[in-house]
Amino acid sequence: DYDLIVIGGGSGGLACSKEAATLGKKVMVLDYVVPTPLGTSWGLGGTCVNVGCIPKKLMHQAALLGQALQDSRKYGWQYEEQVKHNWEVMVEAIQNYIGSLNWGYRVSLREKSVTYLNSYGEFIEPHKIKATNRKGQVTYHTAETFVLATGERPRYLGIPGDKEYCITSDDLFSLPYCPGKTLVVGASYVALECAGFLAGLGLDVTVMVRSILLRGFDQEMAEKVGAHMETHGVKFIRKFVPVQASASFRLKVTAKSTEGPEIFEEEYNTVLIAVGRDACTRSIGLETIGVKINEKNGKVPVNDEEQTNVPYVYAIGDILDGKLELTPVAIQAGKLLARRLYGGSSTKCDYINVPTTVFTPLEYGSCGLAEERAIEEYGKQNLEVYHSLFWPLEWTVPGRDNNTCYAKIICSKHDNNRVIGFHVLGPNAGEITQGFAAAIKCGLTKELLDETIGIHPTCGEVFTTMDITKSSGQDITQRGC
Amino acid sequence: WEEKQVRGYPEFVQTGRSAHGRPIFALFCGDKDAEGRSWCPDCVTAEPVVRKELHNMPDESVFIYCLVGDRAYWKDPNNEFRKNLKLTGVPTLLKYGTPQKLVEEECFKAELVRMLFTED
Repeated sequence: DYDLIVIGGGSGGLACSKEAATLGKKVMVLDYVVPTPLGTSWGLGGTCVNVGCIPKKLMHQAALLGQALQDSRKYGWQYEEQVKHNWEVMVEAIQNYIGSLNWGYRVSLREKSVTYLNSYGEFIEPHKIKATNRKGQVTYHTAETFVLATGERPRYLGIPGDKEYCITSDDLFSLPYCPGKTLVVGASYVALECAGFLAGLGLDVTVMVRSILLRGFDQEMAEKVGAHMETHGVKFIRKFVPVQASASFRLKVTAKSTEGPEIFEEEYNTVLIAVGRDACTRSIGLETIGVKINEKNGKVPVNDEEQTNVPYVYAIGDILDGKLELTPVAIQAGKLLARRLYGGSSTKCDYINVPTTVFTPLEYGSCGLAEERAIEEYGKQNLEVYHSLFWPLEWTVPGRDNNTCYAKIICSKHDNNRVIGFHVLGPNAGEITQGFAAAIKCGLTKELLDETIGIHPTCGEVFTTMDITKSSGQDITQRGC
Repeated sequence: WEEKQVRGYPEFVQTGRSAHGRPIFALFCGDKDAEGRSWCPDCVTAEPVVRKELHNMPDESVFIYCLVGDRAYWKDPNNEFRKNLKLTGVPTLLKYGTPQKLVEEECFKAELVRMLFTED
């Protein structure tokens, strides 16, 4: 019936289907949200729009505004009222915005004549899927080509009480009541970002970490992110894992140390589990048509054209094995795939030097390699690492942390000191990193960086005047302007 | 379903309140002159398209046809419709109390109008 059926209406799925429709193809998109154990569900748009990037950044902003209010008095603003935060007002405003995005996607698909089904899609035979809607009604559809873009959902702990009493990020952004005293389990960027803004809104937050913070990220930067959160009131319990969640007066969590017999017990209003996400590939009938998945993590291995082992089935987004789980990556992959399939293009998605930012209270932006990876790949003696602490000008007047913000670049000595790793810890890290990501794509070298004149006064300019190397052992503590 | 015709913001709010509990759809257009022509040409185009799709609304719905005012009133960036309902243009067709709306040329498309009336 169709040229293309896309299973999943998130960042990747929508980008791919709209591009294919623009190229004149007959396209169908299926999107269905299996409700959380708490019953939470959401509209068209996928994780980013509904329970990811968008509400996360808005809540992060809410927390930053709280901090700004505190700073404002030092800048001369005078007001009597004690400033408090109302969770319900924030959630309503954010959900309203998300609702307008859901609607916007509906209109956009309709305008491009993409057929949209709010149904759960499963393969029942080659080239054919079964679609089941909320009411249980079933329809069948066939297509020449399929794209899997089903994304992921939060993983639970597998301990007694986890699904009954705990929530995940799927529930947090539309929680109708303020979470109150919260335990965040996990040390992923989801865990730290959520813990960060909850604390910024004035809540009592504890983070329970099994081993390291931000696995996969530069660990020096990860520890600095955590340290900043700790000095700003977030409690960390390291090397413990929860073993049980039970309901007493509040929610009681029992945890065990990973290094000994020690037990920890505490009560919280809310427990947020953020220990990872699992690909939604296990119950969509992939076995029926022979699409291979990585049994360990459920992800889909693809070639560099996003094609699975079954030639008419492609996959994009978070479900890809070994690729970055980021919205812009999924969108880019989706668009380029449609162009290769129907637009005569041969451009493949470039997964190298993709910039990212972790929106913890102190933001961390990076592009390129983590220091550990660079050392592994190039060898320590072939690298020069430049670094510097910096104090944002806006932080001086209110007396906020100095010698906390940090900038680091990793250069490859035998390649003209090419910048192969860029890391910045400070306000607006995302905005700063975006520009440098383009420079790195152009082959940025230390020399070019030094020749670039800084914009003053900004945080970004620190990268144009970095002199001190790690190898020199010199002190980078800041004193004046 | 039933239709209510109102003019101006206070009348709109009052009618909206009286229909509380039922799905409310509203079409906002520029005023009409003595010959029944609106100063807003897009509204003239959109109105028949919308009216043709009204039968797709859920049974208990209320359709509020609202004339916002003259051109000068509409152009004022602080008029009540812009301020309180966040309207950005006329014609606007919306489902009251939700973020679902169609603005200007979107109202010319029967399919989009139908989607707004039948969507949940």
